[in-house]
Amino acid sequence: MTLRRRFIPYALLTPGALWLIIFFLIPMYFMGEMALRSGALETGGFTFTWEWSNFSEALDGRGEQIVRTFFYTGTATVLALLIAYPLAYAIALKAGRWKLLLLFAVIAPFFTTYLIRTIAWKTILADPSPVVDLLKTLQVVPEDGRVLATGGDVIAGLTYNFMPFMILPIYASLERIDLSLIEAAKDLYASAREAFLRVTLPLTAPGIVAGVLLTFIPAFGDYVNAALLGGTNQAMIGNKIQSLYLVERDYPEAAALSFLMMAAVLITVLIYIRLAGTEAFMGDEDEED
Amino acid sequence: MSEKLRLRALLTALAVLAGALALAACGGDAGDDDEEEVQVAEAGPAQGKLVISNWPGYIDTGPNGSVAEFEEKTGVDVDYIEDVNDNAQFFGKLQPQLQNGESGDRSIFVVTDWMAKQMYDLGYVQEINRDDVATVFENLAPQFQTSNLDPDRKYSIPWQSGMTGIWVDTSKAPDIRTVNDLFDPKYKGQVTMLTEMRDTVPLVMKADGIDPTEASKEDWLAAIDKIKEAADSGQIRRFTGNDYTEDLTSGNAVASIGWSGDAYLIGNKNAEWRMPTEGCMLWTDNMVIPVGAPNTGAALEWMNFTYEPNVQADIAAFVNYVTPVAGVQEILRKRDPALGNNQLIFPSEDFTANCTAQVNPPGETEDVQEVTEAFEDVVSG
Repeated sequence: MTLRRRFIPYALLTPGALWLIIFFLIPMYFMGEMALRSGALETGGFTFTWEWSNFSEALDGRGEQIVRTFFYTGTATVLALLIAYPLAYAIALKAGRWKLLLLFAVIAPFFTTYLIRTIAWKTILADPSPVVDLLKTLQVVPEDGRVLATGGDVIAGLTYNFMPFMILPIYASLERIDLSLIEAAKDLYASAREAFLRVTLPLTAPGIVAGVLLTFIPAFGDYVNAALLGGTNQAMIGNKIQSLYLVERDYPEAAALSFLMMAAVLITVLIYIRLAGTEAFMGDEDEED
Repeated sequence: MSEKLRLRALLTALAVLAGALALAACGGDAGDDDEEEVQVAEAGPAQGKLVISNWPGYIDTGPNGSVAEFEEKTGVDVDYIEDVNDNAQFFGKLQPQLQNGESGDRSIFVVTDWMAKQMYDLGYVQEINRDDVATVFENLAPQFQTSNLDPDRKYSIPWQSGMTGIWVDTSKAPDIRTVNDLFDPKYKGQVTMLTEMRDTVPLVMKADGIDPTEASKEDWLAAIDKIKEAADSGQIRRFTGNDYTEDLTSGNAVASIGWSGDAYLIGNKNAEWRMPTEGCMLWTDNMVIPVGAPNTGAALEWMNFTYEPNVQADIAAFVNYVTPVAGVQEILRKRDPALGNNQLIFPSEDFTANCTAQVNPPGETEDVQEVTEAFEDVVSG
């Protein structure tokens, strides 16, 4: 009996653990091994030689692209948060009977594939298009300017494509809020603004943290938006890895660059969680228990 | 205690598993010695199943299409897949399999000259015995009998050929006639170039009077520098694959380096393919038989079949690129004179007089790698 009970957690863990081992750890091992190889495909393939210089080569001359990737992804994440929060707030707390319909509207674009959605933007934002004409009239875009093939539309594409990953977790955390807490705050003479800042916002912090991570991490490695919506000198690091792997066929350097970018994302996320996650936000949640 | 033991057993098992995988991986790479002996595609009866990988829109389809006709004629069950979108990506996808001598059940790929050559050099494609494809060599048009990269046609059989030049929106940029006009500041941000290095860079060199077949590595790098400057200044809007057709359609681009057979992909009636005054680049997409191809007998028969002028006429009429089969023009002239006299499908010798067949950058592997890297740094800059 006790033996069985002891066994159950392991049994429950097994599928997930196996999945991680087969599709994450083992590929990681091969990627790491590839990152330390040298040679060329054309001259007999790559051999394992502890070639650590692949890592420095991977970064060599890529500073601009790495900074650009952080900038695009960071901006897109902030924009997504600024757009998603009010929207999620409205859906969760103000939408009434429209709630389901609005939620559906958030997810509906996902019934179309990612690629098609992105390509659709090319049609909408083409140089001679009503949308761009309007933006020019509103002086958002200069008279001789354009929207497509600029850094701005890559950011817009990232923001749009990852938006639901921001909206849904924030919505879920807003939905769970006990409204009487806000009432209580107001009874204690909190203004609406104060009630929001000191009650609602901290209570939805876990949703924000999850949303930011779910947006930032996949957007960082994205290459579709930059490839389809970007112009020259707007490539992200994902595009570079793709070109290293498929065109230049420098598998070791591609693997090394992938590793470094993974590390960069991991460090960014850790710093972020440390700053935003556990202390500032989660701490408040604990106190309130 | 027993818990600890169990953990240790688990760890040992994992270590053994990892070790085995590492060994398997090394084993896969150690096959380098076998590459030396070149395989020759084995002839045999045309029967069974045949898997062909080709580019999208590269054959007449449907119940009356050439594939169906071949199936009916020979009884071979053809699985015709259109999964080649880009030479480099297709290669990237299949390289690990090819390295192990497997073709993923495919018996024929269609890839461009330089890729065919690269696959051959790596031992990924088989040689083809001339006698087994007699119909091919009987009907292969004279200008296709040899190629820069496969002079004796040992392994590559032309599928379709084409020209790389300039697509121009004549209503917006009527005066663009040479590749150098693409660098005119008047058209800043409205021209596109191809991500295919072997098209874009030689065209830029030709515009500056350099013959790509004799160009040095420095010439290639200088041309890439020129392209880089134009990319940095915003002169070039973007580097594209086939999607330049979309930029021409929606009016984002007024001129694009592009391929001669893409008219049906461009929904802009003002778009016109122009032969640059300095000449075009000529390329050929070739059928190759990969290593490990099953049913090479049926593959060879398919090659023969598509070289029958009547069959090829159907393909050419649908595809609108340059056909490598002699005698097709006469057939199409009777069927549809507009098609039969189209210079883009049947270019005369005068028309292509200044054109150059596609070449690789000169030098050793490292030199080619250096040029490729320089170009990729511009394209994904």
